[in-house]
Amino acid sequence: MRFVLRRLGFFVVTLWAAVTLNFLIPRLMPGNAALAMMSRYKGRIQPQAMHALEIAFGIHTHQSLPAAYFTYLGNIARGHFGISLTFFPDAVSHQVLQALPWTLGLVGLTTVIAFLLGTLIGLVAAWRRGGFLDGALPPIFVITSAFPYFWLALLAIWFFSIKLGWVPESGGYDVTTTIGWSWTFIGDVLRHSILPAFTILITSIGGWILTMRNNTISVLAEDYVRMARAKGLKPWRIMWTYAGRNAILPNLAGFAMSLGFVVSGAILVEFVFNYPGVGWMFLQSVENQDYALMQALFLLLTVAVLVAILVADGATALLDPRTRDSS
Amino acid sequence: MRRALAFAVLVGVGATVWAGFGTAGDKTVRSASDTTSVTISNEQGTTWTCGFSPFNGDVNSLSFGPVYEELVFVNGLKSGATTNWLASSYKWGNGNKTLTFTIRSGVKWTDGKPFSADDVVFTYQLLRKNPGLDLNADWAVLKSVSKKGNKVVFNFKTSAVPYFYYIAAQTPIVAKHIWSSIKNPVTYKETHPVGTGPFKMSSCSPQVIKYTKNSGYWQKGLPKIDTIYYPAFTSNDPANQQLASGKAQWGSQFIPNIKAYYSSKSSNNHYWFPPLVNVNIFINLKDPILSNVAVRRAIAYAIDRGKVSRIGEYSYEPASNQTGIVTPTFSSWLDKGLASKITYNPAKAVSILQKAGFKRSGGVFHTKSGKPLSFRIINIGGYSDWVASVQVIQQQLKAVGIKIKPENLSSTTFDSNAYNGKFQLMYNGNESGGPAPYYELRQLLYSKNSAPIGKTASSNWERYYNSAVDKLIEQYGATTDSAKQHAIVKKLEAAMVNDVPVIPVTEGVDWYQYNTKSITGWVTQSDPYAKPAAYEIPDWGVLAMHLRPK
Repeated sequence: MRFVLRRLGFFVVTLWAAVTLNFLIPRLMPGNAALAMMSRYKGRIQPQAMHALEIAFGIHTHQSLPAAYFTYLGNIARGHFGISLTFFPDAVSHQVLQALPWTLGLVGLTTVIAFLLGTLIGLVAAWRRGGFLDGALPPIFVITSAFPYFWLALLAIWFFSIKLGWVPESGGYDVTTTIGWSWTFIGDVLRHSILPAFTILITSIGGWILTMRNNTISVLAEDYVRMARAKGLKPWRIMWTYAGRNAILPNLAGFAMSLGFVVSGAILVEFVFNYPGVGWMFLQSVENQDYALMQALFLLLTVAVLVAILVADGATALLDPRTRDSS
Repeated sequence: MRRALAFAVLVGVGATVWAGFGTAGDKTVRSASDTTSVTISNEQGTTWTCGFSPFNGDVNSLSFGPVYEELVFVNGLKSGATTNWLASSYKWGNGNKTLTFTIRSGVKWTDGKPFSADDVVFTYQLLRKNPGLDLNADWAVLKSVSKKGNKVVFNFKTSAVPYFYYIAAQTPIVAKHIWSSIKNPVTYKETHPVGTGPFKMSSCSPQVIKYTKNSGYWQKGLPKIDTIYYPAFTSNDPANQQLASGKAQWGSQFIPNIKAYYSSKSSNNHYWFPPLVNVNIFINLKDPILSNVAVRRAIAYAIDRGKVSRIGEYSYEPASNQTGIVTPTFSSWLDKGLASKITYNPAKAVSILQKAGFKRSGGVFHTKSGKPLSFRIINIGGYSDWVASVQVIQQQLKAVGIKIKPENLSSTTFDSNAYNGKFQLMYNGNESGGPAPYYELRQLLYSKNSAPIGKTASSNWERYYNSAVDKLIEQYGATTDSAKQHAIVKKLEAAMVNDVPVIPVTEGVDWYQYNTKSITGWVTQSDPYAKPAAYEIPDWGVLAMHLRPK
């Protein structure tokens, strides 16, 4: 119980610090949103029109810093993130909510698959050390993980969609299909996700395989594994419940972190595949000095990582009694 | 046994992946057999907000043209030839201070309500009340707008002939019965635009906008295609790929090495890049050394514009000339004698500098007080073609003893430096131009578009002040006589050549690619009935309505 309370307390303090930094950092950045906006009108706009637009954007509010801070906290609590400059006059929350499902669906799912598949391959490879699987898969995936993502993605597009024409090369779905919960649309979305998912998978799986394999090998040398063998337990039971359960612990924290970072999207993936997610939105918000959008996205990212860490702590405590005892 | 299991897993995974690819393949290779639709490929760098306010500078190109219309269409590729649109006629009066439009009858909004002079008056009053909507600063010159039966009368503060373009051709007319009930029009999103145009916006998602034919359009028999798809492309490569494969038929973007990548892929793939405005070297005339016209003339002589165009711009953007007249688009305005005065001549550049008393040492010319002719030139780092062009210029200037140091900035920093005059030299083609060369020359040279260093200048960024030139610009505004207009523009060209306030290097173009496999009626070089890029307002609506299935 004390363990849970301590973790929760830590979570709240970190969240407050993150929210405050999120408020301060954009205000310390150089540049001016009004100018960013003016450049888009190619100098045709009159000063009075500029002024009217600044008011509409909420750039010229004469609020003191502390007052602005409390307004900001209040707005965040109610989920109001303001109007986006990039997507003027749309609300930031609306834009983010529109893009988030795409990213969660693609990057989230692939992260989970990469983790599960990588862990499985690592475990089996370590168990059958020196076997065919151990000799082939880890080296292959470690090499593919070392490729620059955009290069691999472009190569995949060239080969699978341009040369062979098997899969579409860009977008989240075909522009001529109607959006809705129909099988045609879902099938279309799945088809469009194959190539990005595949490229994320083969560039990210290597890390999981390697760490899992190495963890398992060191666990296999432990006395309790020898003990289990001596007792004559079935090999697969030793592999799963003795070796696997202990070897996965260090990977769990890493997995939680990467799950948290899913909401930041994969900028390169979304850029190369023209995928309508939040990663690309991040880039846009910084380029346009769109503070409102930036703040919302950074907050989302921070909260997601913090929650993921909290969950990972919980999971570690469940799987490993030692963490509970030591606290 | 265990080995067999592992192997089975591996095979299983492989088979699933393979099956996935297999089924995907069968369905995605389907061509656009629907011949009455056209797909646009234009990298916008953003997903759609599904807002269609024609007064929002970010999204007005999605509605102004196909959905909303203007009073008179002005063709920027035919020196501003006019076609009456929502107005059936117009007339200047009162020393070109009053403009009267007769409003067309029989036009209907897409919700079925009739369009009338009330809508026109309401639109301009809306802009007056909300300066944030007045993108063309109509009310900087307007005094009043009033209705007289089916006529609308515009009164101007001064003679305002060139403003006709902004008032009649660049201001979209909206429906009074819809916009009058909107509380804050500046932040109004307008998700379901109701216009008078040839198309209706029928559905929108962040990824694609679908426009369908307005069957009750007032120009009988138009439009001839049923559907336009406008997908959002956030980066250039996927957009180019759609064009090359023929999935998209109408392109409006830069394609590197276009012959190999696009036109060689199919005999139906065509492109045309009509030049519209200059990309210039802006020279800060408040700089102590650059304020010497000899230095500016030397720079102008030292640049081989043809080579800059070939290396920096793949020759897509042709070489400019010092008069500032974009050719061939505005060739009828060009004074050929003036244009041939400053051409590439490095020897002449060197002799000008020597005559002006500069001394060459260590390969670089120095002023009498020993300062080297070494300048910083700012540029937008994200525009790879501009960066390449400046590199070429750097080499050419080095050859005549002038040193320039490129600084590639982000576009916001760049713009802020441009507006505030914080640069020595600047590579910039961001002026908006217009349907005749006058508009660009006015943006470049009119002192009212300038401001002291440190204050925001709207377009005369080099800080050029010449009262004679100002007078010429104002005189042009008072005449509708084409011969007089030509005479004035020739004097402005002379100012460009004699004073060298900016140096035009290449000519910025409209990016335009089109596929004639199943659709015809495109704008071509021999029939330039509208500016052809899908971002040109309101021209792209005009182009879209003239497309027809083959």
